[in-house]
Amino acid sequence: MATSKAPSADPKSSSDLPAEQPQQQKQQTLEEDDEFEDFPVDDWQADDTEATQNQQPQHLWEESWDDDDTTDDFSNQLKEELKKVEASKNKR
Amino acid sequence: MEFGPALYHEFGEAWKTQDGYRLAKTISPDLPPGQLSSIFQSINIAGGWKSARDDDVKAAIKRGLSSSSARSDGIGQKEIKGWVEVYFAYWQATGILAEVQQTSSWTNAYEQWKVLINALIQGYNGHEFEAWTIPCLYVAGKHLRLFAMKADENTSVNDNSAAAFQDDFDPELQKHQKLEDCARVLNRVFSLCLSDRAPLEESRKWGLYYIINLLFKTYFKLNATGLSKNVLRILTAGRGDMPDFHTFPKSQQVTFKYHEGVLCFLEENYAEAEKHLTEAWNTCHKDAMRNKELILTYLIPCHLITTHTLPTEKLLEPYPRLQKLFLPLCQCIKKGELHKFDLALQEAEDEFVKRRIYLTLERGRDIALRNLLRKVFIAGGFEPVAKEGDKPVRRTRVPVAEFAAAISLGSEEKVDNDEVECLLANMIYKGLVKGYISRERSIVVLSKSGAFPGTGV
Repeated sequence: MATSKAPSADPKSSSDLPAEQPQQQKQQTLEEDDEFEDFPVDDWQADDTEATQNQQPQHLWEESWDDDDTTDDFSNQLKEELKKVEASKNKR
Repeated sequence: MEFGPALYHEFGEAWKTQDGYRLAKTISPDLPPGQLSSIFQSINIAGGWKSARDDDVKAAIKRGLSSSSARSDGIGQKEIKGWVEVYFAYWQATGILAEVQQTSSWTNAYEQWKVLINALIQGYNGHEFEAWTIPCLYVAGKHLRLFAMKADENTSVNDNSAAAFQDDFDPELQKHQKLEDCARVLNRVFSLCLSDRAPLEESRKWGLYYIINLLFKTYFKLNATGLSKNVLRILTAGRGDMPDFHTFPKSQQVTFKYHEGVLCFLEENYAEAEKHLTEAWNTCHKDAMRNKELILTYLIPCHLITTHTLPTEKLLEPYPRLQKLFLPLCQCIKKGELHKFDLALQEAEDEFVKRRIYLTLERGRDIALRNLLRKVFIAGGFEPVAKEGDKPVRRTRVPVAEFAAAISLGSEEKVDNDEVECLLANMIYKGLVKGYISRERSIVVLSKSGAFPGTGV
């Protein structure tokens, strides 16, 4: 990790950008509450695991595309746009 | 527990049942101040605790431990000597901790607690401490880290203003001084567990994962992921003569898998990361919402890269924070709204960067683009059927201009055909699109058998 250090010849130069430095550091370190928490109990039965809760894991993830919904605003806009392309091609 | 018959009885009982967790409770600092101070004042010596000399205190503890039933359960003189040091350090710690809320002397608490953990390490190295007592190392290690963080917090509050004027002041180093020291101590405990050559059933290796998890948390806070990788490497090298991972308590398994997964994630090894994080997810306790949320924070970007899948509403339902974080992006990917995707990524950039998932999510743009191109392809409809009874075939020759129009959609800027061809070439190279570009005719010729592999068309 790079920590910016003021050149030793001119100690004052570090005071030129006091506002900027702490902000940069803030972005690099994780938030306090980002830490994985201690579990209140040490061990548990298989019944209490997330895997047992979700007997159908296929319901948790879905494909990234959407075929059913072709009537939304964006799809309509796209169709309009494609018609325009078609029309301009036919003119030529 | 006050120094007196009750403590020595508990010591003896733990010994009789070889219950390490019970023993560990007798050195817990996690008590209200009043109780800590009554422990400190309970030491039974002539003249009372106020004028106690170290040797007198140690002698008193030694008498107590020697009188306990552990004597008849085979505790040796050497071991007793070791435990006297541990309890002496604990006694001193209770004195400091009882007043730490008022004095804020967390640095003192940390230093004293370090004396205690060192006494334990010494006990295993030189005083023949048995492996069943390792939960004492857990309690010691866990609180060492907590005290280190409190001490650093305090230092930065008190010293920042004064230290900032010093020329050679390095705030990063100063900020985590005690925590870095703590990492070194924990590393010694790690070695202590790893190097045990006793048969597995009485080995300190059973303490490995608890300690490694403490190390991971410490290194993550110090932003020293390289050191975490080191731990993993050492562990892999010694895996041959270690207890099976799945025989460890589930809390340790999940915590370990989470960190292992995130480490792979940060190295952009998404397939491995997904494997570890999925195991963490499946094994996690169903009610540990915050931990499940953390696992998903990395598992969702993983899925996007490895299988191009998105979380369902059902999955995100219990996690409003994750909904806020991921839903806008997921919507854009699904609909192929490229421009909106860019905006959503920009919008939450700080949050993504903080969680170190920005670069991974950025790669989701490819999936958004794939879905957009796919929409153009589907909107193109079918070729006229040549013979009756033939299966309809989609139009596979698509003008570049159509893709260009789609890509420009929603954005103010027009994208020119060269740039579109470049994007298309990339998609073909990445295997997201099958086909080739005919430059002279300005069309894209898509594969008749699956132009967008894996998506049904």
